[in-house]
Amino acid sequence: MTAVWSVALITFKEGIKNRIIFGIFIIALLLFAATTILTTLFMRDIVKVAVDLSLSTVSFAGLLTLLFIGVNLFGKDLDKRTIYMVISRPVSRSQYLIGKFLGIVLLSFVVVAFLGILSAIPVILSKRFYYYPEARFDWWIYFIAVIYIFIKLAIVSAIITLFASFTSNSFIALVLSLVAYIIGQSTESVRGLLASQVEKIDVSPILSYMVEIAYYVFPNISAFDLKTQAAHGLSINPSYIIWTALYAIFYMTIAVVIGTLAFKRREFP
Amino acid sequence: MAIISFNNITKNYKTGFRKKKTALRDFSLDIHEGEVFGFLGPNGAGKSTAIKLLLNLIFPTTGKAEILGRRVADREIKKLIGYLPENPYFYDYLNPIELLSFAGKTSGMDSLKIRKKTESLLNTVGLWSERKRAIRSYSKGMVQRVGLALALIHDPKVVILDEPMTGLDPIGRKQVIDLILKLKSEGKTVFFSSHILEDIERVCDRIGILVNGRLVRIMDIKSESLTRPLEEIFIEEVEKAGGARE
Amino acid sequence: MQRSLIIPIFAISLALIGSAFTIDKVSSERTELRQKEGVGLIMPSAVAQIIALEFKGLFADIVFSRAMTYYGGKLIRKEEPTDEEWNWIYRNMDVATDLDHYFLDPYYFGAMNLAWGANKVREANALLEKASQYRDWDWTIPFYLGFNHFYFFQDNERAAFYLMKAAKRPGSINLLPTLAARLSYQGKKTENAIIFLQEMLKKTEDKNVRWIYERRLTALKAILFLERAMAAYHERFKKQPEKLDELIAKGVISELPQDPYGGEFYIDKDGSIKTTSEMR
Repeated sequence: MTAVWSVALITFKEGIKNRIIFGIFIIALLLFAATTILTTLFMRDIVKVAVDLSLSTVSFAGLLTLLFIGVNLFGKDLDKRTIYMVISRPVSRSQYLIGKFLGIVLLSFVVVAFLGILSAIPVILSKRFYYYPEARFDWWIYFIAVIYIFIKLAIVSAIITLFASFTSNSFIALVLSLVAYIIGQSTESVRGLLASQVEKIDVSPILSYMVEIAYYVFPNISAFDLKTQAAHGLSINPSYIIWTALYAIFYMTIAVVIGTLAFKRREFP
Repeated sequence: MAIISFNNITKNYKTGFRKKKTALRDFSLDIHEGEVFGFLGPNGAGKSTAIKLLLNLIFPTTGKAEILGRRVADREIKKLIGYLPENPYFYDYLNPIELLSFAGKTSGMDSLKIRKKTESLLNTVGLWSERKRAIRSYSKGMVQRVGLALALIHDPKVVILDEPMTGLDPIGRKQVIDLILKLKSEGKTVFFSSHILEDIERVCDRIGILVNGRLVRIMDIKSESLTRPLEEIFIEEVEKAGGARE
Repeated sequence: MQRSLIIPIFAISLALIGSAFTIDKVSSERTELRQKEGVGLIMPSAVAQIIALEFKGLFADIVFSRAMTYYGGKLIRKEEPTDEEWNWIYRNMDVATDLDHYFLDPYYFGAMNLAWGANKVREANALLEKASQYRDWDWTIPFYLGFNHFYFFQDNERAAFYLMKAAKRPGSINLLPTLAARLSYQGKKTENAIIFLQEMLKKTEDKNVRWIYERRLTALKAILFLERAMAAYHERFKKQPEKLDELIAKGVISELPQDPYGGEFYIDKDGSIKTTSEMR
């Protein structure tokens, strides 16, 4: 456990001290400022627009962190062999991989927590100045949506970990992770589209079969997008929260454990 | 008992589809307690391969490697090994204190011991005044010295150094040689590779010459002093083995 | 080697079983959540939904702002949008609200401008029906629907139905049930329209929309004034006047009110007050 935690900690430190993270924070702050200005252009549902923009900014900044820093944290270890320093110590490869995964999750947690709190500012401002009484808003749902952004990023971290465990260079891992993210984000919509339009278009059985496989193989990332609910203060069932959270935990376990199996057999010449 | 032992190891690398390169061929070697063993050979002879096998970074195709009588795959023995990779590269944004703290913790040391050892080691390698700077601002020689400190933080019984002298200026090389002699005086076993002959000659008890993946000669230079210059012997062995590849 | 595989394989099997179980649960929970959000899409919206990934709300904002900017540009250049352009605006509002079913602005913008500006009340009502379905807590939507049915379609029964629907939603004004009851009296058409518009004005801050309402309200008040004068004339002389000038000639009123749309008021064949501008 010490080994896993130590790896997680240096991974996190290396990530948080990276200069790119300042860039990401500056982009996020600019977007928050832009949100505050942009909302004045809308008529009534101003809080909705502010929530959309704020939560999208948090999510976007989190994704940038994972794709530019998270992937790179693996990439440097494997491409430049920083990993020698770790696995020449009493740290098993599984411990290394799990520690690395947890370090990246910790990094995305800190980014989401920091930006999640900052993201409330444009919302508070828009609520103060342009609140329309028929609009619904609930801070609880807002922060549940922020937590779900974090869960989504944790799943993306697990995917990055899985791909980094067997690809020979970090760029391939980056591309694969991005593809998995996009597929995971859209399978549910594609599946819904195929289900709702069967009579109108000819859907080949192979296509719907492939979509079905993709739905079960790739994570259903859209299940962790609660921006609409936050924007309109729509209630979320407790059962929804329980099942999606369990799903996330199981999915991450599968991805990381498969990663450790692949990593055990890997050589570092 | 042998501290390090290679038993009939062959290591093949895949270099392409159905193509392979043999880095080590039927390689056997025993290194004894308290000895400084120098590993000599032209570039690409397989020195690094042999060292990486000991650290379980790569796996032998056939044969087995053991340290202190235990298989190298056993994670516990790594508490007793200090390793400096060739051209080491560490985390860019961390400073030596953070790196040494990580190394100490994973080797099972408590934080008080880590702090004391960090200070003495960084003084030894001459980086104490630079300890708060991130590694990315370090020169190649400084990185090499951080690597040495990392290899020694947990007071290992066996020290394995891959090309510890490359990239260092004459003063740095002298420091490394003094360090190896100090380790020897503390009763540690040191196994290191180099292609700088005079350095090896100054500190080693025994020398192994590796050419094209084969161990062609082992010399005990402490008990029987050399009759001819080491350079001459080395070149002769390389030519006998058909010259260095490439 | 074999023993070290026991834990990972055990963990994977457990997680696979758990995942297979939860993914079905998640699917059904998602269906429920998305039903509230709405599914069954027409093609362009569907494509937009997929391309938008998780940024559907943002896409809705973009689609809406684009149409609004276009319309605003037309207004500034003092051009009237063509029929085709109105349809394009309607489709944009439809897509924006498909991406975000709760987004009030495209509903509001679309419904107001399509009904008043383009005389496309049917499209406006389609948007409002969708809004009423999703924004099921917002009483103003059925209220607008009721007004459209009453004012543009003269369908008092439908109008009363929507007003009662609005009355059941939280925060609605007390006036609604009374207004719904009044709609059954045909004769009170102008008065009812004035009450509607006064309530709508109270909920409106947008300058353009306020101006539309205020102009209409002035015209309606003028008509009500004339209708009352006609009733007084009828009571006094026991016959209908043939021309509005007769009201001044007989001293019922001192002068004719102005039509804010720039037309002239007159008495139609059926005895109702009309204006040559047709309030357009």
